[in-house]
Amino acid sequence: LIMKENSLKLVSSEQALKELGLNEHQLRFTCRVQLQDPHCDSDTLHRIYKHLKSVLKGYTIQHLPDGTVIVESIVIKVSSSAEDTNTKVLLLSWSYQDEDLGSFLSTLLKKGLPSGLC
Amino acid sequence: IEEPPVVLAPKPLLSGAVPLEAFLATLQKHGISEVKVEETADGHILHLQAEDTLIQLEEDGTHIVCDNNEPLRTTLRDLVLRFLQKL
Repeated sequence: LIMKENSLKLVSSEQALKELGLNEHQLRFTCRVQLQDPHCDSDTLHRIYKHLKSVLKGYTIQHLPDGTVIVESIVIKVSSSAEDTNTKVLLLSWSYQDEDLGSFLSTLLKKGLPSGLC
Repeated sequence: IEEPPVVLAPKPLLSGAVPLEAFLATLQKHGISEVKVEETADGHILHLQAEDTLIQLEEDGTHIVCDNNEPLRTTLRDLVLRFLQKL
């Protein structure tokens, strides 16, 4: 809500910043999480997708064909370690606005995937 | 049992920029002194060598790339936030 020329108007927070002549500063995090999972990268990603689907009720979770899983606006990718293909390196990337969920997901995935996921 | 955050508290929007020299001094105060600074087209990349962490500082954005080390990440986050306005 901003006051301008003696009238009030409701604008998005991004728009409000612009009207105040301020620039927005994007703070982003990318965390590497190591995971032991003896599957190929795409299977590991699918297992992560299933795991998150079962843990996070009411969140928007997508498994995209380009090899990413998206939870709200948090991006998850998988790659294998060069030395050991059973060691997967997950990259989780989120912005400060998603700090709570990003932090939660990085802690959750660090614990590994439950057995019994297909 | 892992409980996901039920209500996501909206975070303030950030504004401003992180000044390189002042930020390096702050890192040093927190025991992070092995920092290699590289100039880029849009700002700087800081390589925290002992922590194997990269911080990309630009006029309109900061990107922290680190291993899953929550204490380190949250410390770096809070140090960056000190230099930014919260709205």
